[in-house]
This record gives sequence, C-alpha cells and structure tokens, in this order.
Amino acid sequence: MESLDEVIDAMIADRVIHRHRRIWLLLIALIVAAALVILATGGWKEKKGRTVPTLEAPATVTAGRFEYNFTKAEIVRKPKTEYSEAETTLKVYFTAKNIDSEEQTSESVSNDLLVFVPGGGEDLVDSNGGDCKGGLNWVLVYGLPPEECSTKFKVAPDFAADMVEIGVLGEHFKADNGSLGLSEKPYWQGETPTAVVRLKPTVVVDDGKDE
Amino acid sequence: MKLYRPATILVGLLFVLLGGVTRLAGPDHVYGEDQNLKVVHGTIGEALQYAGSGSTVKVTRIKFARTIVSADASDDDKPFETNGVFVAVEWDAVRGVKDPDSFNPTLITDGGSVYEKVSDPSESRIAFPDAGFASTGVVVFEANPADLKGLTLRLKPSMLFNVYNSEIRVDLGVPTEAIAQQMVDGAVDQYVLNDDVTRVAS
Repeated sequence: MESLDEVIDAMIADRVIHRHRRIWLLLIALIVAAALVILATGGWKEKKGRTVPTLEAPATVTAGRFEYNFTKAEIVRKPKTEYSEAETTLKVYFTAKNIDSEEQTSESVSNDLLVFVPGGGEDLVDSNGGDCKGGLNWVLVYGLPPEECSTKFKVAPDFAADMVEIGVLGEHFKADNGSLGLSEKPYWQGETPTAVVRLKPTVVVDDGKDE
Repeated sequence: MKLYRPATILVGLLFVLLGGVTRLAGPDHVYGEDQNLKVVHGTIGEALQYAGSGSTVKVTRIKFARTIVSADASDDDKPFETNGVFVAVEWDAVRGVKDPDSFNPTLITDGGSVYEKVSDPSESRIAFPDAGFASTGVVVFEANPADLKGLTLRLKPSMLFNVYNSEIRVDLGVPTEAIAQQMVDGAVDQYVLNDDVTRVAS
C-alpha cells in the first residue's frame, strides 16, 4: 500500500512532466527540423584557412611513420577508345622512408595519408596508396633507405592544372584515453594534416603503346 | 510516475557493463598486454600446434635472396628488388578438423624490428588448406640486413575477444650478428615463388 506522501509525489511529478508538454514537443520538432535543414544545405562545415605549411616541390615532409620527398607530378591522359571512355589520373612521384622508430614495423603508405587538394572548397581526393617497386601498397621496412614510390588520384577526364596541391597527413604515436576504458598502450593513430606540397604537373598521354 | 523504475536502473547498469565490454573486445590497442597468449616455441623442421585447433605448422627451410620473382610472371614483369634482403620462409601446414583462427605472419628480431610479409607477388602467403589436407608454400619478408639477430617467425592469431589462445614462434636460426651477415652474404640472386601445393594429409 502506497503512502499518501508517495501518491502526492507521484501526482506532482505527473504534473511537472505534463505541464509544458506542448512546448517540449515543439522544441524537439524544431531541433529535428533544424538538423534536416542543415543536412539538406550541405552539412555543418566550418570554413577555416589552411593551418599547415605549404611547400614547393621538391620538398621533404616528415609525417607520422614516413619521411617523404616529393619530386614530380604527371597528369596522365588516357584517350577515349572504342572500348573505354577517356580517363585522366593525377600521378605523383615521391620517395618514402619508414622512420617508425617506435614500433620498427614494416608498413605501407596507406591511401588516406596522401590526398589531392582540388581547392575551391571541393572535397579532398584520396590516393590509391603507395605504389613502390611495382607493387601497390608495398610494405616499407624500417631502417632501409628511401624507396621510389608513386600514387594516383582519380580526377575528372578534362582535368587540367598548372599547379596541383597534395596534402600529406601524418599519424601520431599516442595512447587512447584510459578513463574511457581503453588500454593506455600507445599506437599509431589519428592522422592529421602535416603539410601541403605544390607540384607543377606535366601532361603525359598514355595511349597504351610502349615507347 | 516514478523516476527510478527498475527498467531505468537496468539501462544505467547496462551502460556501465558496456563500458567494461569495450575492454574485452577489439584489436591490440584495446586489449593491451597479451597475457592470454600461450607462446609455442619451436625451431626449423619442428611441427608446431597452432592454437589448439589440431592444425600444425612447420618451417621447412629459409632462404635469403636479393630479388624475388613470381613463378608465373610474364616477360614484362621485373623481379622485385630490395635495398635490404628478402627472407623466404618455406612452410608446411597440416589442417586439423577445427577451422584455425586467421593470423598475420611477421618476423621479429632481438633488435625490435617487425617485418611484415611482402604485398607482392601474391604467392607469398601462409594459410591453412581445407580440413583433411596439408599444404606447402612460401611466405617472403623484406628485412633490414642490419637487424636480423634472433630472427623469429611469429604467427599470432588475430582475435576479437580475449579468449585464451596460443601463438607460434619459430626460431629461424640466426643467433648472432656474424651468422646473420654470413646468411646475407650468401643470399641467392633470385628466389622464385611458387604457388602453394596442397596434398591429402596422411
């Protein structure tokens, strides 16, 4: 049997919850509507200027586990053929050296570490990964000299530019927050922009024939 | 209406438990120390039990090489070269009834280096065949000649949960720097990688 106090408490709680019900519902509806409007208009993107240094090629960049030296860029045009559409790729040449003295582990240059910065507010373009010695995502060994590598970016078939910008991202050797229940053993994670390298591309036509 | 109904308390408790579960689930960086891994040590030529699944792995031979090439490479394919040295580990795996956990082969050294297997050619791999079969093959690693002392093949199962498990460590017989240097000097010019060969386990 409930006591009178409890019954009164329950009644008061009932009133408090229901008193401004309409206002609450309206508020929630407004928040949902606002979220939909923001989504429809292209999301919540904070416009910020560039906060990392911009370098002219040839440039050496140390980012995370790798040390890069960017040398040249090519705009490779594949003309339209009977069987395939015209295609253009942006190919960037660089040397990469594994400098992971923390874990001393072989690692490949993954595709999200190098990005093409088209500029003009357009989205960044991920690369296809470090292609060294003819092997895509070749694992670079810690302690060995730099390897010649290249990477490709997908661009529009009519892409042309006097100058291209390649963003270099670097991972950080750090631990997760232990208070969230995660292990405090550090590992390579959380890539952040380190530098932007400017290269002057040359146009190359790849018609499938050997030179 | 009561604010603290049993269901509310249960949901709260569930969140607390979920926080604990994240410690159990996940890769290396979530579950830090490998206290739940039993290490099975062995040497070349020894068949080693893999994670209690009835499967065994044996390293039959290791070869040092300056270049590697796939056995079915076309004329245009150049051999893969290295500034270091390639270590080819030839293996023989017998599959038990239970499907063994997948694993990532690495070479580890006393100097702390961890060498991953080369991404190309695709013949470089180590995997168990279907139950009742055995296979032989080769897995190739690119390595730094300056850090080869204590070269050990490590087969560590990739686990999602911290169940009790075991990993294999095969001593590849490089106890000193001098021996490592000798093996690097004696590296063959080219190593040809053949596909795995599967046979019926006897």
